[in-house]
Amino acid sequence: MLKYVLRKLVALIPKLLAISLILFVMMDLLPGDPLTRAMNPDTYGQLTEELKEQYREAMGLNKPLPVRYLNWLGNILKGDFGWSTSTKQNIGNMLAGRFPYTVELSLMSVVIGSFLGILFGYIASIFKNTIIDYGLTLCSVIGVSVPNFFFGIVFLLAFAVKLKWLPTGGRMEVGGATDFFHRFKFMILPIMTQSIGLIAALMRYTRSTMLDVLNRDYIKTARSKGLREATVNFKHGFRNAMIPVMTIVCMRIPMIVGGSVVVESVFNYPGTGQMSLTALTAGDIPVVMVTTMVSAAFTLAASTIVDIVTAMLDPRIRME
Amino acid sequence: MNRKQGRSSLTKRSLDKFFKNRMAVVGAIFVILFVGACIFAPLITPYDPTRLVPPDRELPPSAEHWLGTDRVGRDIFARILYGGRMSILIGVSSAIGATALGTIFGCIAGFFGGKVDRVLVTIQEFVSIFPSTLLIMLIVPFVGRSVPMMIFIFIITSWGAPMRIIRGRILSLKEEPFIESCRANGISGMSIMFHHMMPNTLGPVIVNASLNVAGFILSEAGLSYIGLGVPETVPTWGNIINAAKRLDIIQNTPMLWVAPGVAIGVFVLAINFFGDGLRDALDPTTR
Amino acid sequence: MAEQDYILKVNDLKTYFKVGKKTVRAVNGVTFDVKRGKTLCIVGESGCGKSVSAHSVMQLLPVNGKIVDGSVELMTKDPETGEMRTIRLDQLPRSGKEMRQIRGKEIAMIFQDPMSSLNPVYTVGSQIMENLRNHEKISRKEGREKIIKLLAELGIPNPEIRYDQYPHEFSGGMKQRIMIAIAMICNPTMLIADEPTTALDVTIQAQILDLIRKMQREHGTSVILITHNMGIVAEIADEVAVMYMGRVVEFGTLKQIFTNPLHPYTKALMRSVPVLGMKKDEELATIEGSTPDASTVFNGCEFADRCEFATPECSKRFPVDTVMEDGHRVRCLLFEEGHPNAES
Repeated sequence: MLKYVLRKLVALIPKLLAISLILFVMMDLLPGDPLTRAMNPDTYGQLTEELKEQYREAMGLNKPLPVRYLNWLGNILKGDFGWSTSTKQNIGNMLAGRFPYTVELSLMSVVIGSFLGILFGYIASIFKNTIIDYGLTLCSVIGVSVPNFFFGIVFLLAFAVKLKWLPTGGRMEVGGATDFFHRFKFMILPIMTQSIGLIAALMRYTRSTMLDVLNRDYIKTARSKGLREATVNFKHGFRNAMIPVMTIVCMRIPMIVGGSVVVESVFNYPGTGQMSLTALTAGDIPVVMVTTMVSAAFTLAASTIVDIVTAMLDPRIRME
Repeated sequence: MNRKQGRSSLTKRSLDKFFKNRMAVVGAIFVILFVGACIFAPLITPYDPTRLVPPDRELPPSAEHWLGTDRVGRDIFARILYGGRMSILIGVSSAIGATALGTIFGCIAGFFGGKVDRVLVTIQEFVSIFPSTLLIMLIVPFVGRSVPMMIFIFIITSWGAPMRIIRGRILSLKEEPFIESCRANGISGMSIMFHHMMPNTLGPVIVNASLNVAGFILSEAGLSYIGLGVPETVPTWGNIINAAKRLDIIQNTPMLWVAPGVAIGVFVLAINFFGDGLRDALDPTTR
Repeated sequence: MAEQDYILKVNDLKTYFKVGKKTVRAVNGVTFDVKRGKTLCIVGESGCGKSVSAHSVMQLLPVNGKIVDGSVELMTKDPETGEMRTIRLDQLPRSGKEMRQIRGKEIAMIFQDPMSSLNPVYTVGSQIMENLRNHEKISRKEGREKIIKLLAELGIPNPEIRYDQYPHEFSGGMKQRIMIAIAMICNPTMLIADEPTTALDVTIQAQILDLIRKMQREHGTSVILITHNMGIVAEIADEVAVMYMGRVVEFGTLKQIFTNPLHPYTKALMRSVPVLGMKKDEELATIEGSTPDASTVFNGCEFADRCEFATPECSKRFPVDTVMEDGHRVRCLLFEEGHPNAES
């Protein structure tokens, strides 16, 4: 198992490097003076041409591409992602303030969404062809058919505007406590909105996989041992059904991370989605690029965790 | 002669299976109704979806304006019909394009196998880790916002799923005895590919494409909602909702977002039922 | 013969399946019994209901299958008083406590395809342990020793290492040995083997059959072996039940069936099997026609259409079981009392 984890972690490295290389090349191809992105734009405006040239030389911006890439990679590892022209801040600092919020929201959505989706799917498969099954299936079909921001608007109206149980948006109370439990009520509606698609998709998939697995021969073997039905369903059925379900979770992670742009927009949630949307309107492309790449790296890491969970479930993957 | 008969009876059996599935038939009827209503929009509503009539702004639903009017006096019902045209057009063309592109890559990967396959799969896996909404945000500033570009962006960001399906099917078909017997009988590689393998991959691909139409309509709505879709002047279901972003509009003019939301929901639901029915009908292992 | 010499009595068992709106009479009045420590072979073509009969005994039917009539009686020792008693298995709730105590403990089962019968995500040891600890109070340590001993008995090399391995690390024949270990670990009074060798290589088949025979000898287990292979029947059976279209058409000892087959179907079956010493130009017989669809409704003998001795009467009324003087049982009009052709 440890070997598998190590192998997965090592496999991350070339992928992360590829992401960084793409980001670097794209930034490099952007028109305009690269120096504007390498230093504070305010300072840049006050420099004379001569000083600019000196800065370029000092920062190695005139060196060949591979050298510049390595320099740039070194800066990134130190948290310097270059400067944003629209906010006049280092993109690294901007990310440090926003990215944790998006990560928090995405991770909670994936975890809660997976749990509920799998749970409902399991229940539907156990109560196959009963009213419970039909009800859950209907809900899941509706869940995948309605755009999630529409649910967001409905939740906003119902729980925040009409019932006033939860805040309409934002991240935390102004001047209030900032610990997790105080912030959590700001996250409930975004998480609900964000995870509905995942819940619905996983429910359908878990149900059909469970029904498929329950037809396998080893289920009959388990029954022939005189095990309780619940043990047969859970220990032998569910455990095996989880393996393909995990691939769906993996495939859905990028959708959740991308969907955060929309959800953050509905609830005015100050994550990276909103940040890059604002930057985009201001024509500040580097911010969008960096956000996309960092989100891809995050997706990659999250997928690796799901892969490791899958390997824990399936010895064939672990040992291959 | 014989083969033709065999195929038509298979088609008949699939059709029988499809028509026995009540939800699928209802889905198909709804899809046809929606598409028909959108195509024949001028016959159904007298209003122009883009003409501004400031005196008529924010009217409640009435006999004249079935769903009321928006903030600049446009008839919402007309906008939904005309918007549906564009949304469905985008959904269908993107689905066809993405499926075609995915099919080409999938066939190449599956048929040639080996290194070609590994390279294509690695590329696909790598592309799939980029959240598509963010990818689209990256592409939009370079290509601009227009209907053809929207379709183009959808196609280049979603050929992965059909490619995986095709590749998987072809890899497993390669092991099938009937393909081996083709090869043993000296049938050329291309002929095996197009005459024997492709028809066998059609079922899942058509199902995937039909479900993709639903997916793209949802994506279009999401992107328009955050202002990254087609230009606001073009009515699409997403653009209609886009007008309802402020809390006061959401509360005061519910028709502005409820109506297009329900339109999207019902249409996508219908496509999903239709696609699921198609899946069951085309799957020879289910009865 | 004394009553307790029987371990299982199946009487006029009927198991029907609902497939859509149709009812498939997979088992339609099956009667057989199994003697203590002996082997009963159930033979027949695929789809004749032999497997469903066995699954009915264990109540391991799919949800759309149901025992609608008949009885299944198991003779067993009462765990408290030690007295022999009879349990009506068909009347126990399908997944109730009593039925579960019988499955795996009193009656164990091995299946046709060892490849798919083991759960891929658990070690083989833990899958055997699961059955053992489900029925016996035994510590994990003692259990492990017991299992490793059994694995060694079953000819599995390095049982201590193999115990902790997963099914995908085993070959087909080895997996079937593991299945036998799961079945035999609780020392069941009866073992049902449903085509245990069909999915295996010919060379492995003989080994698995030998193992089943060895287990039977050493543990005194009664065996029901389901097969379509007459060669296996000749090798292992004490008694034979021949099934056709959901019914037992002939039942007798191995000797009776092989030296004096009575039912036309059995005769045809015997002729279709190659025997050593056959002449080169001698052709194997085939049975004319094909097995009717399982949902066909009959008014008379199910075999009449394919039977070379059929009379017009055969398709008009159902034959009844006729018991010969030596206990040999046959279900054919030709042997019914008063039939002009009746021979004995």
